[in-house]
Amino acid sequence: MRLILRNLGFYLLAFWASITLNFVLPRFMPGDPVSRMFAQAQGTMQPDQIAQLRKLFGLDHRPLWEQYLNYIKSVFTGDLGISITRFPTPVSDVIGQQIGWTLLLGGVALLIAAVLGNLLGIVAAWRRGGVLDSAFPPLLIFVGSFPYFWLAMGALYLFGVSLGWFPLRHAYDVGLTPGFNGAFISNVATHLVLPALTIVLVSIGGWMLGMRNTMIATAAEDYITMAEAKGLSPSRIMFRYAARNALLPSVTNFGMALGFVVGGALLTEVVFAYPGIGYQLLMAVQGLDYPLMQGIFLTITAAVLLANFLVDLVYVRLDPRVRVR
Amino acid sequence: MAPSIASRRLRTALRAVTATAAAALVLSACTGGSGAAGAGDTSGNQLLTIPREDLATFTRNFNPLSPQAAPMTLQAIYEPLVVHSMSNAKDTPWLATKWEQAKDAKSLTFTLREGVKWSDGQPLTADDVVYTFQLQKKVLGGFDYLDQVTAVDAHTVKFSFNKPFSPAFYEIGGHYILPKHIWSKVKDPATFTNPNPVATGPYTQVEKFQSQSYDLRKNPDYWQPAKQQIAGIQMQAFSGNDSANLAFTGGEVDWTQTFIPNIEKSFVAKDKKHNHYWFPATGAMINWQLNTTKAPFNDVAVRKALSMAIDRDQITKVAMNGYAEPADCTGLGRTYDTWRDTSLASSCTWTKYNTDAAAKALDAAGYKESGGKRLLKNGKPFTLDISVGSASSDWISVANIIKQDLAKVGIIATVKTPDWSAVSASYNTGTFDTGIVWSNNGATPYEYFRGVMSTKMLVPVGKQATENYHRFGDKKADKLIDAFAAATDEKTQREQMNGLQELYNEDAPVVPLFTGPEWGAYTDARFTGWPSEQNPYATLGNRNGSTILVLTSLKPVKG
Repeated sequence: MRLILRNLGFYLLAFWASITLNFVLPRFMPGDPVSRMFAQAQGTMQPDQIAQLRKLFGLDHRPLWEQYLNYIKSVFTGDLGISITRFPTPVSDVIGQQIGWTLLLGGVALLIAAVLGNLLGIVAAWRRGGVLDSAFPPLLIFVGSFPYFWLAMGALYLFGVSLGWFPLRHAYDVGLTPGFNGAFISNVATHLVLPALTIVLVSIGGWMLGMRNTMIATAAEDYITMAEAKGLSPSRIMFRYAARNALLPSVTNFGMALGFVVGGALLTEVVFAYPGIGYQLLMAVQGLDYPLMQGIFLTITAAVLLANFLVDLVYVRLDPRVRVR
Repeated sequence: MAPSIASRRLRTALRAVTATAAAALVLSACTGGSGAAGAGDTSGNQLLTIPREDLATFTRNFNPLSPQAAPMTLQAIYEPLVVHSMSNAKDTPWLATKWEQAKDAKSLTFTLREGVKWSDGQPLTADDVVYTFQLQKKVLGGFDYLDQVTAVDAHTVKFSFNKPFSPAFYEIGGHYILPKHIWSKVKDPATFTNPNPVATGPYTQVEKFQSQSYDLRKNPDYWQPAKQQIAGIQMQAFSGNDSANLAFTGGEVDWTQTFIPNIEKSFVAKDKKHNHYWFPATGAMINWQLNTTKAPFNDVAVRKALSMAIDRDQITKVAMNGYAEPADCTGLGRTYDTWRDTSLASSCTWTKYNTDAAAKALDAAGYKESGGKRLLKNGKPFTLDISVGSASSDWISVANIIKQDLAKVGIIATVKTPDWSAVSASYNTGTFDTGIVWSNNGATPYEYFRGVMSTKMLVPVGKQATENYHRFGDKKADKLIDAFAAATDEKTQREQMNGLQELYNEDAPVVPLFTGPEWGAYTDARFTGWPSEQNPYATLGNRNGSTILVLTSLKPVKG
């Protein structure tokens, strides 16, 4: 318990540091939102509109420290202000609308990649020199080192355009009404296949290699030989003795990855026109939308810290050494 | 040490997993694509589908005061008094049937159409118009010349100005009108998202609003029901040109204004009978702006010589894919053909490509060449920077062609491509060297000339400019521009405009390059009645003022 409390203190400190960075960084970027919007419109906006938009957005001209105090307050009250690139929609609405799809896509892809990758790693290490061990890691690393954009486009053209197996875009068919029914859920699932599959393809290699390497080190430990000598069943040795101990680094990685899921998968969203936070963040950065940028960064920060905290908790359960210290 | 039992069990498990995965694939293959909305539907009730490549998701915001109002807010939902089309320079009476400009150009009177109703059944009156402009001034400001708006009677509105200003007609006439009975009850109109708009347009009923699509259905009280021939509009969200173009070339959406590379092959060739495009040059004049606060760009002879050194035909052909029109020495874009002084345009030479003449002109102005390099008057090499935002790949090629052409007369140019925000910041404050810049594009050339030569818009280096970044002003231009704004008859206006073109030819305030095209492509497999070169009643853009003309002209294909 004391351990958890001590960690909590550290997390608070980290949280403060990162929300302060969130505040400072966007303000170092050149220009202001209105002149960016004007430059992007390239002649389709009248010069008078610049003054009008400045008035409408009510851009903040208070001293920085005052803005900062206000920002800290808004972080705790959850009032993140009004988005500029989506004026006048509140930031919380913009994020709320898309966070679900982001979590669905990122979560499903991460879960499949991590579980499958770890299983493959375990088996490959256990049967060293086997087909799985010699063929899979190079193959997966090869696939994983393709530029993601290219891979996703390739999958889209092959399975979407040429073969027509999967839909080309969006999270569900246009015109369908969202609801908890079989038809809608299966529609969402089919739309999820290609985006998730491509993410899994590029990330699974890392999981497999990591697991395989720690597993090999663990399999050489004396207690494994001891377990074999006792005549325990091989599957019990593999999963309960070797894999359980080799799993720790993977759990850490999983926690990190889980936190970053919230940031969205920009390239996937661009190729498959999938709604999500990644593209929104790009738009916010391009339009110098401070409130939205802050909101998204804050969500990511909170998610990463939360995921790490959860991993710490799981560690206490998984690794008895942590409990003793 | 190979644990055979475990591996066998695992293998069975893996096999089970692959089997389910395969089954899932087959299942999803059956359902996938079946719901493709409306593609190929010719029941007569099909929706006109339009993609937005720049919005990955929609937000339910139909507030026309917001610059980020949902697409079609100003095209299908709210309507203006008069619709101006850039493609044929015509004004179509819309919510107003008549208008009259006072002789002194200090007031303007509109007569509203009888029988126009808001989509909640209430009638449109002069009070709505008055209220709209009051609200606009309160929330957004602007309209500094507007002194007073008064309702003369239920269907007549008078706008009084504090100075003679005839271009007001386009600004006021093209402005959307809001219902007073709704907006006067809104607490904060600036941050109101207006989820269910009440308006006079043909398609006001928002249905099935989702993060990546929504439908707009017929306004039951529309004032010209005969023109509501299509059942409705469906907007779809895409996160970039690629995904939007994939949907368009696949025939899943009807009408796009996204740029499509190699459109003949990638789109038209797929279905020659139905797939069409039209890129009229109705965009703004794109200029090469030279910062006239810096030497040697303050020398008109240099500006003209630089202009002669560049090959506009190559720029439009190579950098703009042949879809732009090269400029002449009047500086007027193709939209203003009716205002052009054609005898002037054919007689002057400083916008015609001639490397030898350019070199001679530079020699004569005192910028001598030595060893293949041109020198400034102080003996330093003649070099310049051309800045363009990194996102505009077409304009970057324009800058590169200019760079090559300048090398032929011994001038060393460097193309700089930082982010647009950095570029526009240097334009605003006047710290740039030269740049490829858009210009004002109004209904008349008034805004263009005001933006390139008036001293009124001139601000010193270091202060924020919103136009005239190159900081050139000529008092003679002010007089002509004011006289144009004060004139109400075409003859006087034309005289001033001719004077402005002559002055432009003398001063060469900027180096005009080309008129930009407006992209637009469609398939007429499901809808007919599109604007074209033969029938240019509107452009093929779906985000501008004349879009409403297209929406009220299209007919669905039946059976």
